[in-house]
Amino acid sequence: MIKTIMLCLILLPWAAGFLLPVLKLKNRRGKCALISAVLLLEAAGAVVMLLQKSAELTLFSMTKTLTVALRMDGVSKLFMAIAAFGFLLSGIYAFRYLGHSEREDSFFGFFLLSLGALMGMDLSSNLITMYLFFELITLLSMPLVLHDRTEESIRAALKYLFYSIAGAFLALLGIFFLARYTTTLDFVSGGSLNMGAVAGHEKLLLVVIFLAVVGFGAKAGMYPLHGWLPAAHPVAPAPASAVLSGIIAKAGVLAILRLVYFSVGADFVKGTWVQMAWLGLALLTVFMGSMMAYREKVFKKRLAYSSVSQISYVLVGLFFLTPEAAMGGLLHIAFHACIKICLFLVAGSFIVNCGKHRVDELAGYGKAMPKTLWSFTLASLALIGIPPASGFVSKWYLASGALNSGLSVYSWLAPVVLLVSALLTAGYLLPITIQGFFPGKNVTIPEKNNEGGILMWLPIIVLSAAAVLLGILSGCFTDAFSALANSMFG
Amino acid sequence: MSFCVNFPLFCVVACLLCAVISSVLKDKAARLVSMGLTLAVLLCNLFLLIYILQEGSSVTYLMGHYPHPWGNELRISILEPLFCLAFSCVLLLCLLGGRKHIKDDLREEKRNLYYVMADLVLSSLLVLSYTNDIFTGYVFIEICTLSSCGLLMIRQIGRTTLASVRYMIFSLLGSGLFLLGVVVAYSLTGQLLMPSLKASIASIYASGEYRTPLMAAICLITVGLCIKSGLFPFHFWMPDTYGCATPASSGILSGLVSKGYIFFLLKIIFDVFGTEVFYASGMQNVLYAFGACGIVVGSVSALRENDISRMIAYSSAAQIGYIYLGIGISGNLGVIAALYHILTHAMTKPALFLAAARLSDTAGGARRFKDLQGAGWANRTAGAFFTFEAFSMIGLPLTMGFISKYLFALAAFRTGVRMILTLVVLAVSTVLNTLYFARTVIRLYNKQETELRPCPMKKQASYAFAALLLAGVNVGCGVFVRPLLHLLSKGVDLF
Amino acid sequence: MHSCVLLCAILLPVAAALLLRFFKQNNGRAVHLYIGAATVLTSVLVWGLILRCPEDSFRLITFTDSLTLMLRFDALGRFFAGIVATLWPLTVVYAFEYMKEDARAKTFFTFFTLAYGVTLGICMAGNLFTMYCFYEFLTLTTVPLVMHLQTKAAIRAARTYFAVSLGGAAFAFASMIFLLANGADGSFALGGLLESYPYAKPYITKIFYCLGFFGFGVKAALFPMDGWLPKASVAPTPVTALLHAVAVVKSGAFAIFRLTYYCYGTELVKGTWAQNVVMAFAVFTILYGSSRALKDGHWKRRLAWSTVGNLSYILFGAAMMTKAGFAAGLLHMAFHAEIKMLAFFCAGAVLHQTGREYVRDLDGLGKYMPLSFACFTVAALALIGIPPLSGFVSKWYLLTAAADSENILAYVGAGILLVSALLTAIYMLTTVRRAWFPGKNTEASGLSGTREANLKMTVPMLLLALGILLTGVFSQPILQAIERIVGLR
Repeated sequence: MIKTIMLCLILLPWAAGFLLPVLKLKNRRGKCALISAVLLLEAAGAVVMLLQKSAELTLFSMTKTLTVALRMDGVSKLFMAIAAFGFLLSGIYAFRYLGHSEREDSFFGFFLLSLGALMGMDLSSNLITMYLFFELITLLSMPLVLHDRTEESIRAALKYLFYSIAGAFLALLGIFFLARYTTTLDFVSGGSLNMGAVAGHEKLLLVVIFLAVVGFGAKAGMYPLHGWLPAAHPVAPAPASAVLSGIIAKAGVLAILRLVYFSVGADFVKGTWVQMAWLGLALLTVFMGSMMAYREKVFKKRLAYSSVSQISYVLVGLFFLTPEAAMGGLLHIAFHACIKICLFLVAGSFIVNCGKHRVDELAGYGKAMPKTLWSFTLASLALIGIPPASGFVSKWYLASGALNSGLSVYSWLAPVVLLVSALLTAGYLLPITIQGFFPGKNVTIPEKNNEGGILMWLPIIVLSAAAVLLGILSGCFTDAFSALANSMFG
Repeated sequence: MSFCVNFPLFCVVACLLCAVISSVLKDKAARLVSMGLTLAVLLCNLFLLIYILQEGSSVTYLMGHYPHPWGNELRISILEPLFCLAFSCVLLLCLLGGRKHIKDDLREEKRNLYYVMADLVLSSLLVLSYTNDIFTGYVFIEICTLSSCGLLMIRQIGRTTLASVRYMIFSLLGSGLFLLGVVVAYSLTGQLLMPSLKASIASIYASGEYRTPLMAAICLITVGLCIKSGLFPFHFWMPDTYGCATPASSGILSGLVSKGYIFFLLKIIFDVFGTEVFYASGMQNVLYAFGACGIVVGSVSALRENDISRMIAYSSAAQIGYIYLGIGISGNLGVIAALYHILTHAMTKPALFLAAARLSDTAGGARRFKDLQGAGWANRTAGAFFTFEAFSMIGLPLTMGFISKYLFALAAFRTGVRMILTLVVLAVSTVLNTLYFARTVIRLYNKQETELRPCPMKKQASYAFAALLLAGVNVGCGVFVRPLLHLLSKGVDLF
Repeated sequence: MHSCVLLCAILLPVAAALLLRFFKQNNGRAVHLYIGAATVLTSVLVWGLILRCPEDSFRLITFTDSLTLMLRFDALGRFFAGIVATLWPLTVVYAFEYMKEDARAKTFFTFFTLAYGVTLGICMAGNLFTMYCFYEFLTLTTVPLVMHLQTKAAIRAARTYFAVSLGGAAFAFASMIFLLANGADGSFALGGLLESYPYAKPYITKIFYCLGFFGFGVKAALFPMDGWLPKASVAPTPVTALLHAVAVVKSGAFAIFRLTYYCYGTELVKGTWAQNVVMAFAVFTILYGSSRALKDGHWKRRLAWSTVGNLSYILFGAAMMTKAGFAAGLLHMAFHAEIKMLAFFCAGAVLHQTGREYVRDLDGLGKYMPLSFACFTVAALALIGIPPLSGFVSKWYLLTAAADSENILAYVGAGILLVSALLTAIYMLTTVRRAWFPGKNTEASGLSGTREANLKMTVPMLLLALGILLTGVFSQPILQAIERIVGLR
């Protein structure tokens, strides 16, 4: 039964996503109801799975060594939950956002297909399956980026596609070598390296793993393969940007996590130049992303750079290879998902309801769209890391994890960079709020509007509330996260 | 001794007689006489070959019961009747296939003279193969030269006259050098009959004196015959000559006459100088070098040609180069390869000339490639045969050309001498051959640009028959190689 | 089953082709039924022979002591014959529809079916000489097909193809003679024919091996003899799909396998400069082919350049001179055949229905010809190497073999393989993108009447797409068969 549900988590959105453009339903309300039903079922299924301890299912074997199989463990649960709920809320928002645009069917079709693929990746039980779904995610989410079909969006979508595929091939190199040096391709916490086989080839293996992480990092927006993010986000529709940043980019993080913790094992990499290099790249991305966000004036692009930076927070936490820092990273995965989706939806609201794309045009909109801007403020506070919002909790664990990590330079460098980034974050988020509510004298205050209707502002409010509440109530689940982080170390 | 051994003498006499008679006969009668004669010669040689194979050894035929060294002799072994058989077969088919062109190209009163010349050529080929006396050989070389010039000139258009004059000059140059060589040899040894010459020369060589005159004799004779057969760099009369003669003549000259000279050269190498002396002189290296050059230069020139008959003529130059390459490789294997290639070329080249003439007929006599586009569709028979013979020239399996290539390569390997160079030359020449033949064949099957006169098979029965036989022999010898090779190697042993 | 049935399998299509001359009508149901029946019958016969193969050899003609024409259906031959026999009927059905309006369809089908017989001859050849003969004949039967449209470009392409093929065969000839002269005139034996070469020093042997590799490599589009393949893409699509993606080019690769593993033997060449030379050329061609594909905007030519690159994947596998490399190369030979054929079929369907040849003109066609482009997308994904499609499995095994080979050049090759995969993604997916997601301002002009191609064209495409999926998901049986051929089990 459980296995069926697990399989359905992938197959249901795939079936729905495939049939949607094919059936060409005329009744819009019915169509939206159907899509909502599917999303709700997904969320429900995810909840059911969350309550289980674990589950396994082998699908098929291509050859004796290459099998496609599913398995749910703690990490899967985390990512599954984020995916299900994030897509649900963005999907509901999208009904209103897309209005009656012509290619709605195609958008929702690929939306659902991406969800299915994402679920598949979350539930993968070995490197090959994960690679399969990783590639599928890229292919199925690309059409979301080019939805508008303008020149710019097509170029951005192709950039996304090719960066991701290039990264995937780099990663394939790594997977391939790991296949030779591990005892099994399945994910085993603590890694499954066959140290006997590795002996003598450590340098090679390290290089390859480094490249593999850089490759997967393309999806996660890690320098140097981050270039697609700022190009893709402004041109994609807001709900698409939301799931891209909030959830699909996390697929990259998941891939790195699985590779480093469940295949190679943290012990192999700890203390090597590879770890130093990764941390360096991640911190560089954190700083650079915040910097670029600060200077960027186009709203969605600013948020895109912000994503680049924030996802690298997670990576910093993961790369420290200690349970505490890892826990910070895991927490931030969940929190950033909520926050970033909320932020993108807000940006989308401004675009659809007021036609404003740039942050300097938003003066005085606090009166026009109070719910939206209030939610924005709360989410911003969470992102900056003001207690008791969620962002603070994750940043706390990240910082303390760094300080306790024992790595000479990074143990102090990382918290410093995080702090600087937090300041920059404040610098690029708060002015929007301030300008919105206190526009100054010479600005005409726009009319109040319905903020897109309940379908748009409700998801935004829910997410911003979650962003704050998760922080306040963090005490309830930090233990669970701590156990989860520890379980990754074998 | 059976009656058969008289056949060569009978054949020669018959040829000369028929030549004389044909000069007073009318065109059609002369033709019938010629073809009948050639057929008779063919059958005689066939019987002779069978007889010799049964006998198992060579036969020397005294003429007029005058003992040597004063009389004249014929030597009958395996190779002589075999090659005469081949030559007469090709001559017959050339005459048959080129019949229409002989009628079209020549004036009515001259046509019987054509057959006179053909008979004379046949007689000289016979003598060159069978004779055991070097001076007799010289006499008939001159007869051959004159009658081949006759075959050329008889067409009587400006270009042919010019070409045949050039041909005559070169040929006579070659004959002159040959005569000079014979004179030197005679003054050294005092003999003219080949066996005696051989013994004499062997003893002179062994003694070590008169080395220089001996070498001079070898050089002069060899170079003389090389010039006559068209080895590089004495090949540039070929395109003019073969290019504008009537196709039967082109076929006879390229396929038979030059081969007759080469065969005679081989006879001299084996029966006059002896292989030991000849190889000691180092001439074979010269032959090898010029042969290789001839192959490459001939092929490159063919590539650059725009006229189909001239292209085929340059191809002939390349093929002569092949034969000399084989001789130059030295050793029995090389000679066998060269002999086999003589047969191949004799079968293929006349067929190509005949087919090319037919194809250019469809375009009203034009010979440039751009006028011949699509000719393969107009005259399907000629096109098909041209394509087949082109494949043989390139050396595709199941044809004689392939076996030739194979034998040359094998000879190069087994003797180990200059192996890589030979193979490179072979490969390069195959590539070049392919280039120009492929281009031609494809052009023939293009869409027709201009109006071409179609020619169904019914209208060209004699040509079709001749071409079919030539192609058939080609395939037959290409597939049933073993008996032929067996004959050749046995023949070389008995040479 | 007596081994003379092998000859029947070759002669059946040849006879059928020659007898086609007697049909009065040019095109029409009679012709189609006849050719279709002949092709299917031959395929059935071939599969029967594959499954219940006669072990012994069948001598056709003995030219001399060392030159014999001989047929013998060993494991490798059966593998190749299986690929050919499966794909030929599909192409013939496709061709019926594609050549519907052609004025000289009869000539086309004559040579097409002739080529089938000749290709089977290559599969069933029992020794190098026989394979060489059929190899030359294949060139002869395919030149008229390339030349079929009789445009200037077609003629030029045919000339190049003819000259380059026969020229290359000349070098292969030299290699073959070397073997024959040294006494290696027996039938193919896995591991090589001779222990040592009495007539030649080792470096001479290696030179001749390289000559043979490059000579046969012409048909396999090895740099620098790859130019003919893109030029030949002007031929009608069934020709490009079957002959220039399956029969002709794979014959070249097949010949190289025979040369390396069954004639000279890998022990002779492995680890020497000769191996490095051939592997370097193979690796370079991989990169070269993929790069040129990227730059070319003409759809079929782009796919032709892609074939150039992919063939060198196979040659790369062969050049590794290990059993694993051999197996990986064979795997890619099978998978690439189906993938590339499908890609060409799709391009051909679009060409047939709309006349559009260039990628930039494909905007929005996905809406009007969804089936064709769905199949093309499957082919594209397989070519890039997305699991669980077949292309992934063959790439994986190539990488494995490369890593196992402990040859630095092989490692470089593995890296280049991945780079080439990225380039493949770019040039295939840009086409896919244009079809399914056209830009706003490039709305399909003049496409309103476009419909999907006829069943005769779409059904083969669907079958191939299904095949790609199934052979990828269930690749274990194929892999086992290959391992048995190669001697790994």
